[in-house]
Amino acid sequence: MLIAGLMFPALFALILLGLPIAFSLTIVAVGAGLAAFGSVAFNQLYGSFYSASTNFILSAIPMFILMGALLERSGIAERLFRVMNLWLSRLPGGLALATIAMGAIFAAAAGVVGAVEVMIGMMAIPAMQKARYGNTLIAGTICAGGSLGTMIPPSVIAVMYASLAQMSVGKLLAGMMLPGLLMVVLFLAYIFIHGLLYPAKPDDDDPVEEPVELAEKLRLTATVLLPVVLLIVAVLGSILAGIASPTEAAAVGAAGAIVLCIVNQRFSIAMLRESLAITVRISAMILLIVAAGTMFMGAFAANGGARLIREVIDGAGLGPTGMIVFFLAVVFILGFVLDWTANVLICVPLFTPFIRAAGIDPVWFATLVLIVIQTGYLTPPMASSIFYLKSIAPPNMTYGQMCRGVLPFILLQVLTLLLVVAFPALATWLPDRIVGF
Amino acid sequence: GAQAQEVTWRVPTSVPEGSPFYVNFLERFADNVGLLTDGAVEIQPFGAGILVPALQVYDGVKDGIVEAGHSTPSYLVNQDPVNAIFAGFPGGMGPEAYSTWIFEEGGKEKLAEIRAEEGLKSLVVGIGSSEIMAHANKPIKSAADLKGLKYRTSGPWAEVMRDYFDAVPTVVPPGEIYTLLERKGVDAIEWGPPSGNLPEGFHEAAPYIVVPGVHQPTFLWEVVVKQETWDALDEALRAKIEAAAELTTLQSLVHFYDQDMKAMETLRASKAEVIELDAAFQKELSDAGRDWIKKTAEAQKAEGKPRMAEILEGYFAYEDRWAEQSGYLIRNEK
Amino acid sequence: MKRAVLAVADRISASLNIVAQAMVLILIASMLYEVVARYVFGAPTLWAFDIAYMSTGVLFVLGAAQALREDAHVRIDFLSSRLPKRVRGAIDGLAFLVVLFPVFVWLASIAGQRAWRAWMTGEVEHVSPWAPLMWPFYSALAIGLCALALQLFAEGLRALTDPRDDDSCKIET
Ligand code: NA
Ligand code: NA
Repeated sequence: MLIAGLMFPALFALILLGLPIAFSLTIVAVGAGLAAFGSVAFNQLYGSFYSASTNFILSAIPMFILMGALLERSGIAERLFRVMNLWLSRLPGGLALATIAMGAIFAAAAGVVGAVEVMIGMMAIPAMQKARYGNTLIAGTICAGGSLGTMIPPSVIAVMYASLAQMSVGKLLAGMMLPGLLMVVLFLAYIFIHGLLYPAKPDDDDPVEEPVELAEKLRLTATVLLPVVLLIVAVLGSILAGIASPTEAAAVGAAGAIVLCIVNQRFSIAMLRESLAITVRISAMILLIVAAGTMFMGAFAANGGARLIREVIDGAGLGPTGMIVFFLAVVFILGFVLDWTANVLICVPLFTPFIRAAGIDPVWFATLVLIVIQTGYLTPPMASSIFYLKSIAPPNMTYGQMCRGVLPFILLQVLTLLLVVAFPALATWLPDRIVGF
Repeated sequence: GAQAQEVTWRVPTSVPEGSPFYVNFLERFADNVGLLTDGAVEIQPFGAGILVPALQVYDGVKDGIVEAGHSTPSYLVNQDPVNAIFAGFPGGMGPEAYSTWIFEEGGKEKLAEIRAEEGLKSLVVGIGSSEIMAHANKPIKSAADLKGLKYRTSGPWAEVMRDYFDAVPTVVPPGEIYTLLERKGVDAIEWGPPSGNLPEGFHEAAPYIVVPGVHQPTFLWEVVVKQETWDALDEALRAKIEAAAELTTLQSLVHFYDQDMKAMETLRASKAEVIELDAAFQKELSDAGRDWIKKTAEAQKAEGKPRMAEILEGYFAYEDRWAEQSGYLIRNEK
Repeated sequence: MKRAVLAVADRISASLNIVAQAMVLILIASMLYEVVARYVFGAPTLWAFDIAYMSTGVLFVLGAAQALREDAHVRIDFLSSRLPKRVRGAIDGLAFLVVLFPVFVWLASIAGQRAWRAWMTGEVEHVSPWAPLMWPFYSALAIGLCALALQLFAEGLRALTDPRDDDSCKIET
């Protein structure tokens, strides 16, 4: 158990030395794996690598990234944001508001965080920079918007959580709906106020935008905005109508993006190949972290990591409140290094018996855990959201700006958490009313 | 024991920690082993995918990654169909008859023989009750209702549904079953026994619940240990672990019955309608399943592998005797 | 000698990357076909799910080496960027050459053994009703891990002998 405890400091040290995250995870997993398994450690590590390589849930990631890459490379995203800017330029923080809204919409479709962030980031960052939004606001908006996949149904994380905790998937999805909406509203309100206080200032040498007449505005909207809205409707609608499962809907989105490029006469083989290259590069980066995280988790568990946590709970004699705080802290800390799949796999079975024994409402507790997972995903210095953003960020966006950018959104998530703590009905009221056929 | 032998086994299973199979089978086994060996043997259970890939528990033991593993012959049916007999198959024996066959008629010895060829010691750890045949968006009452039915299922039942009833077996990954059923992307799904399905909330997603589980009348899980690891234990410990396995299997079956009855009570009280198939249709389904497995065994025989046919013959003889004689048993049916 | 090693590693990574790109299209096509087959024809496939998870696995494993070549594996460099470039190069070089290269060679050899065993025993998918043979998928994983090991060797050499001075993870978008 000593080794399990040492794995985290070792990992932090390697990451701070500047080694890639995936390789830092691998090195620590190998060290701890050798301690737990001796000569067969590599068979075990390969098994973890294999588990991650055969995880169907991850299939949505390349498809959503390709969708974003195609829309960006073809110039459709740029035109889309230009049209949105025509309507939203007077609205403080208009493009950032639109980006969060898009994040929420695709969160509903994807349910896999990371993929949505990369997809939206590729489209929105150039547009927002062009409109002279600050890098911190851009970074925060992309990370926060892209992380909403945890909280907005049908979230794959929630489905997995419910299954592990032996609770109703439908009730949990319904329970998260109001807190998820609340979070979106808080994000929007913050960006709006931020936009009022610090409006985007065009540079002197920016070309002056000609005022566009209403007829032209409407024409552009119909030709540029509408097709993209149709694409979104196709993705979301195919899930809601029972035509496609959430993963299949990602394929609908990617194929729809290709069609959109062809219809807009923006399609070329070169453009497709560039988009595919970006897709493979970013997918490989994300999935190698997931695979290495799975190796890390196996070594952590084999060295008695779960027992370590359990013994702390038993030893500390915590009351219900203390226990909830401790559990959320564990989820938060594991979230620094583990991707959500690994985090949920380790934590949920560990906590569930204690939660049940203490008579705590499982939907309410699950909602808290999911909010914390999403917060962990956002919180520097080790934040998956920032790793992913780094993979698509332009050179002039610094790590410091990203960390400062997510800060307000972290606070808003903590606020959401506190509101759900203070008013459990936010999570428990809806499930009893809407679940059923 | 005067001289306590210290043995620790890391035992991964194929289902996530906390699921009914994990708690009822593997955790119970760990407790019973600790109890009967006075703590000389410690079983450390691990959920699916933590130490070895969920479906490769058998390989993990063979490769020596873990000392023992807990899984079901279901996952080996594709490699060798003889496993279907032990995994439970459509038209096969229900839990009462099957567990009696396993323990009294040499079923578990046959399974042990097969595993021994792979260098594994097999301990039966867990026999389950019948599954729910379907949570469905359309009522299923006769063979006609199965035609064209998009039905999430797997294994032998998928083949029976397709080949005998023109249903359309559909592959849906576990995380997407609920969503697809609720949105009517599939017409029907089967998953597990009532107490396993209840927490998944399928009865909230689809209006019909079809029973009984002729597709999966029972199921079996086993703990496998590498033969040399097993042989290294002293004789007294081996006997105690065998006893713990049998105790666990019997206790967990009774526990499953109890949990399932309570789950059925809840399911019947829910908005979903429970459809109990009539005897004639049940027989039609069961006969198709028996025909499927007989044909499979014949095909194996033709390939020079007569064992499946031999075991199956004994199995069916036992099932027939049970069917003919069990009328004396009081089952408290309504 | 060194240049030859680097060139071979780079060439292999680039070729596998093309296969990985094809996997993205196969993934999308299989999922779309499944939607159409199930919803329009009422006849879902037994293979789309297997193809989907396998192509995802293959695309990321085969793409990992090229991603390393392009330094796309994300790192946090706000501390290390303050170190002299020789020191940074030494950290990367030692980690890649001395630790990660042998680790991935070992993983690749296990992957190779699994592929060989699957070939010899005719292993098929455990639960899929389609029950495809598994050795092609296992082989792809083994090849990807080999390429990643080789590229780790190459990047380790580069980091030691010719450390890059710019901030890392700059990808043109
Ligand atoms: Na984090
Ligand atoms: Na089943």
